[in-house]
Amino acid sequence: MERLISSLLQFVLVYLILGLVFTIAFMSKGLTVVDEGTKETSWKFKLLILPGMLVFWPLFALKWKRSLK
Amino acid sequence: MLKFADYGIFSGGDLMGVKYEAVLWNRQKKSYDIILWGMIVGILLVFVVSQFLMHPLITLETLIIRATALTAFVLLHLILMIGPLARLDHRFLPLLYNRRHLGVSMFLIALVHGAFSIIQFHALGDVNPIVSVFTSNQNYQAISEFPFQILGFFALIILFLMAATSHDFWLKNLSPKIWKTLHISVYLAYALLIAHVATGALQYENHPAYWAILILGFASVTGLHFTAGFNDYKRLTKEKYAALEDGFVEVCTINEIQDDCAKTVFINGENIAIFKYDGNVSAVHNVCKHQMGPLGEGKIVDGCITCPWHGYQYLPQNGQAPAPFTETLHTYIVKVIGSKVWVHPTPKPEGTFIEPAKVEQT
Repeated sequence: MERLISSLLQFVLVYLILGLVFTIAFMSKGLTVVDEGTKETSWKFKLLILPGMLVFWPLFALKWKRSLK
Repeated sequence: MLKFADYGIFSGGDLMGVKYEAVLWNRQKKSYDIILWGMIVGILLVFVVSQFLMHPLITLETLIIRATALTAFVLLHLILMIGPLARLDHRFLPLLYNRRHLGVSMFLIALVHGAFSIIQFHALGDVNPIVSVFTSNQNYQAISEFPFQILGFFALIILFLMAATSHDFWLKNLSPKIWKTLHISVYLAYALLIAHVATGALQYENHPAYWAILILGFASVTGLHFTAGFNDYKRLTKEKYAALEDGFVEVCTINEIQDDCAKTVFINGENIAIFKYDGNVSAVHNVCKHQMGPLGEGKIVDGCITCPWHGYQYLPQNGQAPAPFTETLHTYIVKVIGSKVWVHPTPKPEGTFIEPAKVEQT
């Protein structure tokens, strides 16, 4: 049980770290491409959406990829 | 159904491409926040004082854990009651419109409770504190020793997901359907927390008064939901009978019509296209005046019904082609009752304005 929980926890940690790395790049380059409403938004807005971005980052990676095509 | 955010505190930008703001403040929202945080501080103070009176030797950590638990739980009850209250009495609507900040505040207080609990009870050993939450107690078969912490942990995860996605940015980018589904999971969080309290705190503080308060809270939430649901059912039934008597015909559910598209029906020889757009529903004759193209197979483009054959356009509300064009269509009265779309098959004179039916938010 302990090993299973530890493994799951490590997976979640890696997922969130990847999310953070992606989010930093995405917020500087991709956010305004994916959603035009984010143009010229404040750092407060970006801070507000950051926690959710760490969770839902694969969705935005997909959207960003589609928008580049 | 209930969710953290209907309209409100974190609102920034709408779904039509306006720039987002972190928080769109106005006087009403500021007042709401002042009252909300006044209430939160009040609950915390009353609880802290009463705990000191009942348990003079209580530690600061325990006090924080208990006070934040109670405050967050009370706020969650309020959040869940606001929806049905607003459906029963429209004077509660201002509370509904600003519920988003209430939800986020509740999550932050619950987070303090969770963090202090994990530090106090799970961070002192050599096992990872989060792992300890799941492994320190595995008596799943006994209610009195049930690992209630796990229930609270999962509830906190749900509340986090809801708070983290409360901005309009998420409503647009997750899609309304996924966003709503995610936010309806507040009921799952509530169920987990009822079990968390019943198998946790109330196993140690098992005075009948505490159980009575828990049951009363649960009964209030469920009772209000059933009452509001029953009222809605009665209202819809009444509206349906009235519509039938007036000659309306039930056509489809609102979800059967895609946004900016139409459903076409033949009723009493009338060929009707019913369009859904921007939360509205309008019906026009389904035949284009240009070369009799099927308008119902077209889409709403720039606010106009656009014929799929040659792009002729008409306004859905009045069937009139935008100036300088002069073509006009018959229009029909439409109603949305609950989730059903009803149409009156008697055509109005060409170009007659008909107030669009509003899609009810569920």
